Parts: sequence; structure tokens; C-alpha cells
Amino acid sequence: MSAITQPPLRRERLASGLTALVASRPGVPLAAVRLVLRAGSSLDPAGRFGLAHLVAAAVRRGTRARSADRIDAEVESLGAELGAGVDEDAASVGLSAPLEALPRLLAVLAEVAIRPAFPAREVAQLRRREVAGLANDLDEPGVVADRAALAAAYGAHPYGHPSEGRGRHLAAARRADLAAFHARHWRPGRATLVVVGPVDVEATLAEVRRRFGGWRGEAGAEVEIAPPAPPASGVVVVDRPDLTQAQVRIAAPGFARGSAEHAAGVVAGAVLGGGFTSRLMEAIRVERGLSYGVRARFASGRAGGLFYVSSFTKVETAGELVRVALDELARFREDGPSEEELGRVRGYLGGLYPLSLETHEAWAEKLAEMEVYGLPADEVTGFVDRIGAVDGAACLAVARRYLPGERRVVVAVGPAARLEPQLRALGPVRVVAARAVM
Amino acid sequence: MRRPETHAARVIDLDAVRASTLPNGLRLRVLREGGSPTVSYATFFQVGSRNERPGITGISHLFEHMMFNGALKYGPKEFDRVLEARGGHSNAYTSNDLTVYYEDFGAAALETVVDLESDRMRSLRIDDGALEQEREVVKEERRLRTDNSVFGLMEEALEALVFQAHPYRWPVIGWMSDIERISRADCEAFFRASYAPSNAVLYVVGDVDPEAVEALVARAYGDIPAGPPLPPVPGGEPEQRGERRAEIRFPAQAPSLLLGWRGPPARGPDAAALDLAQVCLAVGEASRLRRALVHGSGLAVSVSASFGWRIDAGVFLLYAELAPGARVARVERALADEVAGLAARGPSAGELRRAQALLRSGVLHELGTHHGLAQALGQAEALLGDWREAGRQLETYAAVRPADVRRVVRQYLAPERRSVVTLVPEGGR
Repeated sequence: MSAITQPPLRRERLASGLTALVASRPGVPLAAVRLVLRAGSSLDPAGRFGLAHLVAAAVRRGTRARSADRIDAEVESLGAELGAGVDEDAASVGLSAPLEALPRLLAVLAEVAIRPAFPAREVAQLRRREVAGLANDLDEPGVVADRAALAAAYGAHPYGHPSEGRGRHLAAARRADLAAFHARHWRPGRATLVVVGPVDVEATLAEVRRRFGGWRGEAGAEVEIAPPAPPASGVVVVDRPDLTQAQVRIAAPGFARGSAEHAAGVVAGAVLGGGFTSRLMEAIRVERGLSYGVRARFASGRAGGLFYVSSFTKVETAGELVRVALDELARFREDGPSEEELGRVRGYLGGLYPLSLETHEAWAEKLAEMEVYGLPADEVTGFVDRIGAVDGAACLAVARRYLPGERRVVVAVGPAARLEPQLRALGPVRVVAARAVM
Repeated sequence: MRRPETHAARVIDLDAVRASTLPNGLRLRVLREGGSPTVSYATFFQVGSRNERPGITGISHLFEHMMFNGALKYGPKEFDRVLEARGGHSNAYTSNDLTVYYEDFGAAALETVVDLESDRMRSLRIDDGALEQEREVVKEERRLRTDNSVFGLMEEALEALVFQAHPYRWPVIGWMSDIERISRADCEAFFRASYAPSNAVLYVVGDVDPEAVEALVARAYGDIPAGPPLPPVPGGEPEQRGERRAEIRFPAQAPSLLLGWRGPPARGPDAAALDLAQVCLAVGEASRLRRALVHGSGLAVSVSASFGWRIDAGVFLLYAELAPGARVARVERALADEVAGLAARGPSAGELRRAQALLRSGVLHELGTHHGLAQALGQAEALLGDWREAGRQLETYAAVRPADVRRVVRQYLAPERRSVVTLVPEGGR
């Protein structure tokens, strides 16, 4: 197995509280730049689900010094596209900068993050687009299924609403809500700026200090999200009478990203639902031709996580797919992985790991993830050893603790009249309208 | 703003690519690249949906699935099992023009990969059970990507409008009735006709010793017999004499519009200029259509453009999802006006520079991985006739002038050559 080496990394905490991470590595003459903040959708206030997302999308729509049009033209003329997004734990703004344009793009990024103006017209337009875009998501059965599964699994916990928010909450969000969220959560002390590429580290750090050094944020207490309570069991059918294929999800409680069980969860998840040879792929696609694909994994955030299975099949075989999947999970809870499977999955995960870190972008993403989740410095270099140390007993332990048994949520999206009879045996089926999920 | 520099374009050292051909016609291109200790191994077969005929549309793609179901040495289920255990993963894709298999893996697994790939090229086994199972899997794939997808339905309808005679008129995944009809005998004939080494090119990029790769490949593939060349594709297409329209009724939330034009072949000077037109029109927030329809009038929730390069003729697409309350005719007129504006005056110098800078970053980004490099070499050879074109891409874009963009927009995106598909929402939820 080839060893993974981490590029030399400079970390500096600026006086403002911002953490800067600059890594120099050879490769194409682009620098990946990511500003990541602990300002994710789990901080959305009640009645304003989607606010964190709106703020991340709105910061680039005008600052005190530059209009949205000017920002777009300036960034894109330099060969970069500004991207922004949120997940449950973090917001991020980033771009891939041609090396020679890095200083100018850092200046724009700093202005966007620190001094957004949230112009009323831009906010109104953005809100309208986001509400309409969310409505159009109703046409994506996979998106509808994921939203329904999150809500069913997490309930009222802050992880229970999707980062994109809810339509009527977005429609109600005011400019002042955006400005207040930004002031409260986009603070240098909660932010990390990552730059990765064939850069001059000292010059880049000097540029970062120059552009981000004057960032002053509101003082305020750290906000931590409490771990989610174990979900209730349930079967939910989202009614879409027109579909010929049902999207299916199974979810059960998991663990937080920083958990000591993470490595065992990665291995168990891969045996069950990673790659083309996993047990679920074998049972559902290879043996029965029920689906084009099936995935299973532990999905973990800062405060907690889920074990999550995702697949789809023609409407008439949705019940069969769920039964086959639950049987496979139950069998794994009994016996755990075989030695052959363990060996194969260790080889698979270890071999693919360097491939997941081939680009500057991927490294920037990984370094940002380590900050957000507070992962140890040997997260990358120790990966293969940690995976190698997971034995059958460790897999079996996480399986017994977390794989769907008594407590699990099953969600299917499709024609309720035909899905409900197929899923009834799993427990009382709650039928909801697709619109209710958005 | 600085101009894209052509001397910085040499991100691929073309002199370092080692190219050779085995006596059976198998072509091999190897590029040693530092960086990560990984290798990308790609097998390009020059066969896709353009080589099909009515009645067995989708066979290239269905057959792609069959390639993972066992050969003489590595039997059913062995391919992925062996590869994954050695720290690699594999997948494949089929396009109108090509079928491509690839493996990405830690460098130590190279010999295993050569063994796996040569085994299935030499001695694939096609059995009825596997065919029936893959047929069901492919039907699910079609239900996912086409039958239950707004864009999938519209794109399928558009291709059938843009092309009347050329095989590009049917979808790569095939019509459902053809997927159901394809027999084992069809698959066997397809394998014999299309998967000979003389119809394939291997690209090996990454942490490898080129000489050792050549020896390994010669040993593993050398005894596979060459095949006859594929029959020529009936490539003609009558001239389009006026707009063509189709309507799809589907229970969607909002109307959408898809406009398409038959473009030039990938080979030739016009494809690059149309790429720039695409960026001017709809890539990035400062593009004309996003500024006008998304940020300005608010008529659309999203707008996108694409120009996919193909051997015979690419298709230039504009897609808009309408904002609530917006009228289809109004949005269509707004899209047409923007295209007409670009045709009349071409892009400004600044606009073209923006497009060139964005494309340059895109190319650099693609070339930043072993996988991306192998794919770029393969696509260049398949579509442009020479893998060296992958290294010239940046220079090609940098050489395009505003007048070139204006000319190709006028020539290819003319109103009378347009095809329009409208999605009309129907039924309630």
C-alpha cells in the first residue's frame, strides 16, 4: 500500500481569531481556496429553516464596495467561479484560483465574507429563486426521499430539516434576518481559511493577513448543537401517483463524526453498501436485478449521525427491495463481516484513499473538514492504519449498536396506493403529500 | 486581467507520452506522472450508440454492463472483487460515440488490472442469467434517468428532433422496447464486431514505468486476434429547413424549455468557438443568459448551456427552468433574443477573455488528476483523431477571436435550424 503524505502545512491564528491553513503542493497552477465557518443549517432559527443557506448564497450578491454584477464579472474574468453552500454544520465559500490571480481573488473573497451588504433587491430576487428552485425539487424523487428521511429520522432536532430549508420559511425570510444571522455566526473566531496549491506559503499568508486581518466579529458564546435523540420507528410514504419508480430510504441512528467508532463504521458501511461488491449491491442488483444502484453508509455530523441506505426500484418491487435490504442488515448484525470481506474492504478503502486526495480541491476540502469536526492531525496519514486495525469484532459491535433493528425509519416515494400495501408489514404507514415535505 | 498564456499551456508533456501499437492493432499510450501514487487505466472502444441500428438501440450500453459479468479466467463477480481487494475501483460509460472502461487504483495493482482487462477482452462469457439480470438493472437506470426525469424526457425528445436520419436520433440508453428485445445472440455478435483489440486504445497514466507497461500489455493482450473494422456509420443528415417543435406533458412543477441545434463535428475549427459561445451565454453568473433571465428579468430559475463534442455532429443545448408565473413564449423569446444578439455583434473582447479564462481553469482542473489526463487523451484521440490534441486544448481556446464566435453562432444557432422542446406541466399532486 502506498503511503499517503500530507503536504507541508502552515497554520496561523490571526489576531482576529481566524485560522489560516496554507498547504503547498505541486500540481496544476490553480489554488483551491475555501473559507469554512461554523454557520451551518443546524443554526437556522425556528420558522426560518434555510436561513443559513440563504446567507451563504447572498453574501456574494453585493458588498459595501462592490455590486453583485461587479463581483461576478471580476471573479469570472480572472478564471474563477465563486461557489457557496452549507451543510448541517458549516457554511463555506470557495473558488479555484489561477495562481497569478490568487491575491485579487482573496481580496474579493474577504470582502464577500466580511462586508456583505445584502442589497434589498438582490435578497428579494434570491429568495424568489430559492423558493421556486425548492418547488422544482419536487420533480426530483431522490431529493424528496432524502428530505422525508431526514425529517423522519431526526424529528425536531436541528438536523431534521434539510440545509436548503423549507419553502414557506424561505419566503418569510427578511433582509434583516440575513444580516442578523451573518453578524452572529460569520465570525472570524468560527472561521478557517484554507489555501492549497503550488503557492508561495509566505506570500500567501501575508496576503491572507492583509485581507482578513481586520475582520472584527461580534463576541458571543459558542453555540453547540445537542446530540439528536434516537428516532422513532416509522414507515413513511410520500405520495407521488405519477412515478413508475419508487425511491427508497432506510435510516437508523448513528454516531457523530468525531466518534471513536468512526473507523469501524467506515469499514462496516463499505462491506454493506460501498463499491460494486457490497452485500447490498450483491443482494439487490446482482442477484435480483432490483435496482441500478444501492448505497449504505454511516453519515455523521458534529452532533450525531445516521446509518443510511438509499436505493430505488420499479414501484411493484419496492416492498421486496426493503425486505431484502433489512434481511441483509439483520444478517450482518448476527454474524458481522467474513475475514475475506474484511481483507477486501481494507484493500479497497486503503487503495482508494490516495485517489480521494489527488487534487488541490480535495485537500482543501479535507483540511476544512478536519477543522469543522475537530479531527486529529493524523486524520489523513493515519487512515490506512486505523482501517487496518478494525477487526470483525469491532464491525460487529457497531453493527449491533446501530444497524436498523427495532428503531428504524423506512421512506418510499411513489404512488401511495401501490406502495402502502407492500410496506404495511413493517408497521403503520404514514402517507404524506409531496408538498408537505418541501 | 491577464490573457491566458499559451506558454503555460504545456501542462501535459506530450513528449513524455509513449505511444505504440501491438501487431493485433491494439494501441497503447502511457504517460508517467508524479503526484499521487496512483494509476488510471482506461480502455476506449470506438463503439457507441451511433454504431447501432433500430431494433437493438441501447445495445452498446447494455453490453457495457455485461462486461462486468465474468470471463474465462476471472468468472462471474470476480472482476470487482479482485480489483476492490487490490485497492482499486472500476466503472464504465457509454456515449453516442464511445464505450469507455476505466480503473483507478494504487500503483501496486497494475499487473492485476492488466490481467483483468485483457481477460475480458479475450474471453468474455455471456450467459442468459446475467443478461436477464442486467436487462432489469438497465431498465431501472432508464426509469431513473429518463422516464421519471423532466430533463431526461426532454433531452430524448430533442435529439429525435435534431436528427432525423443519423443514429444520434436515438438515446444512448436505448428505447425501452429495444432494451427488452436484445438477445444473447445480439450481444455475442456485438462483442465479436466491436470489442476486438484493433478497435480499442489503452491509456495508462500515473505512477508507472512506461517500458514495463508496454511489456506487460504486449504479454497480456498480444494473443487476442484482431477483428474486421466496424462497418461505416450511415452519417448523413438532411438539411434542416425550419424550426422543429415537440411538446411533453408530464406532472412537473413548472414548465421548462429546451432549445437545441445541430452543431459541427468535434474535429475542425468550429467546436472550440462554440465552447466559447456556450460560456458567453450561460456559464457563470456574469454570462448573458444568467444576467438577463435569472438575475435581471427573473423569468427563469435556472439557465444552462452545453455543447457536447461528438464525432459526426455535436448538439448545442440551452435549457431554462421557468420562474413561477413566467410564460413559455416570453422566455423562449428572451432566449432567442440573447442568441440573436451574440450572432449580430459577437462577444465583446472582455466577454471573450472571461470565457477563455474560465475554460482555461476548467481544462487545468481536468488535467489535475491521473483519471482526468487519461480521459482527456482518450477523448482527444477518439474525437479529434490524435491524443496530442489534449495538450493543445488551451492554445486552441486562446486562439479564438470574437469574430469566430460571432460566425459560429450565426452559422449553427440560426433560428431556422432550431429545435424546441417544451415541457407542459400536467395533472396535480
